[in-house]
Amino acid sequence: MSSARMPSQRLHAALLAAPAFAILAVLFAVPMLLLFVVSFWRVRNFALTPDMSLAAYARVFDTYGDVLVSTMINGGLTALICVGLGFLFAYAARFRAGRWGDALILVAIVTLFGGYLVKIYAWKAILSTDGFVNAILVASGLSAEPLDTLLYNRGAVIVALVHFLLPFAILPVYGQLRNVNDIQIEAAHDLGASGHQTLMRVIVPQCRTGLFAAFAISFLYAAGDYITPRFLGGGSGSMIGQFIAQEFSTRFNWPAGGAMSFVLMAASLLVLGLVGALFVRRRPS
Amino acid sequence: MRAFGAILWFIVITMLVLFMLGPLAIVVVFSFNSGALVSLPLTGFSLDWYRALFSSAEFWAAFQNSLAVAVPTALLATVTGTMTALALTRKSAAASVPLLTALSVPIMIPPLVVAIGLVVLYVRWLSVPLGLGAVIGGHLLLTQPLVALVVSARMASFDRVALEAARDLGASPWQAFRHVTLPQIRAALVGAALLAFAISLDEFIITIFTIGSGNTLSTFVWGKMRTSLDPSINAIATLLLVITIGSTAIALRMTRYRG
Repeated sequence: MSSARMPSQRLHAALLAAPAFAILAVLFAVPMLLLFVVSFWRVRNFALTPDMSLAAYARVFDTYGDVLVSTMINGGLTALICVGLGFLFAYAARFRAGRWGDALILVAIVTLFGGYLVKIYAWKAILSTDGFVNAILVASGLSAEPLDTLLYNRGAVIVALVHFLLPFAILPVYGQLRNVNDIQIEAAHDLGASGHQTLMRVIVPQCRTGLFAAFAISFLYAAGDYITPRFLGGGSGSMIGQFIAQEFSTRFNWPAGGAMSFVLMAASLLVLGLVGALFVRRRPS
Repeated sequence: MRAFGAILWFIVITMLVLFMLGPLAIVVVFSFNSGALVSLPLTGFSLDWYRALFSSAEFWAAFQNSLAVAVPTALLATVTGTMTALALTRKSAAASVPLLTALSVPIMIPPLVVAIGLVVLYVRWLSVPLGLGAVIGGHLLLTQPLVALVVSARMASFDRVALEAARDLGASPWQAFRHVTLPQIRAALVGAALLAFAISLDEFIITIFTIGSGNTLSTFVWGKMRTSLDPSINAIATLLLVITIGSTAIALRMTRYRG
């Protein structure tokens, strides 16, 4: 290629990328900016009035501080369980399942595309008083009466979120485990390393970024979700997203909805930053 | 000891697979069950829930709306995403990774936040009526980065020599794309479009905030979920499962994506 063609090629590339980035700018960057501006406004007589007020932010911490903390805990627990189970599943698919490995990954992909609302609905049907689990408990004599404690709590929310997010956790870890060299593992065995040592010193260090990606994806989705807690959470399982939706749509309090959104995102980034820092510090030399 | 380990792994993996597929299997099985409760015992095979669904005008309206959103979303996202991937092919990873990451930000933050941002833009600043067009805009944000990622991955193993030859022999950039690049990446494009279609079809949060009135299949399901545990949800859910898993299965075959 001649160097004379270079400037026109650069222009060419910019033009090619323009539509996607125009959509990103108009439908994402601008709205986020507007939402940020609106979060400093006030609602007077049911009308939005421009202002430079921190009232909406103060309200987030006064009214929704507990929910925010509870949201971070639910997100963190969900992400930890997803990383643990996701690693177990990916490890089995890569090292233990032999020719069934591909089938296991297919299971993960099928669940990935299994429908967001459908999964939440399925968990309600499974855990409700006249549902699947209770029918088995009563029929098998493990419980004399159907339990009404399975649904509408933190546990139900976390179970449903783990079910929804587990494939998102499995795939990045599996992607990295596939690149782990079998020869290194055999070498570790031959040099007398135990299974546990091989796992911790050879395999885990090679899929650190995958494990962190799995944690980050699961955490961000879980902490930002609002349909799962609204449908399965009841009082103890409620999360900040529900209240963002409520303030924004039901009460038309856009400043509150905006402020809560930015606090949620900032808090989520803070948690991820802390987890990331711990992760980096633990890296063996 | 080894046998014990193997049995333990078998149990753990079987339980995980049951956990992952069980809820979906329950939905499918109960869509063919005559009883009104999603609970044991099964009461007998029946197609009544499908009959009820197919005779509902609301269902067909929602189905039409879903297609009216998912088809344009898939086509537009494939065009803009592919153009972005082509623009990035000559760039180094240092230049293309930040751009692809920027394009992916809308899929990394809560969909709820994307949705209320869109409502603020549409309603307050653009005075654009909420509706199917507004939904498509939101769905493009979620799908174009995935198309760009899939096509970029395909372009990484793309044979550039033929393209250079075509250009040196006087082909215009469009002719070179049409006759050299496109035949090589066609399968990846179809795969990416199907993936975008499946994501748009399943998307709920942005849809419910920006649709205004009317239903897509996902908001239709939500309406039924909120009122009761109407078993016809099982039938819609099964149909959605078949469509999304079917189109992604074809998509994965075509893009040869593994893990």
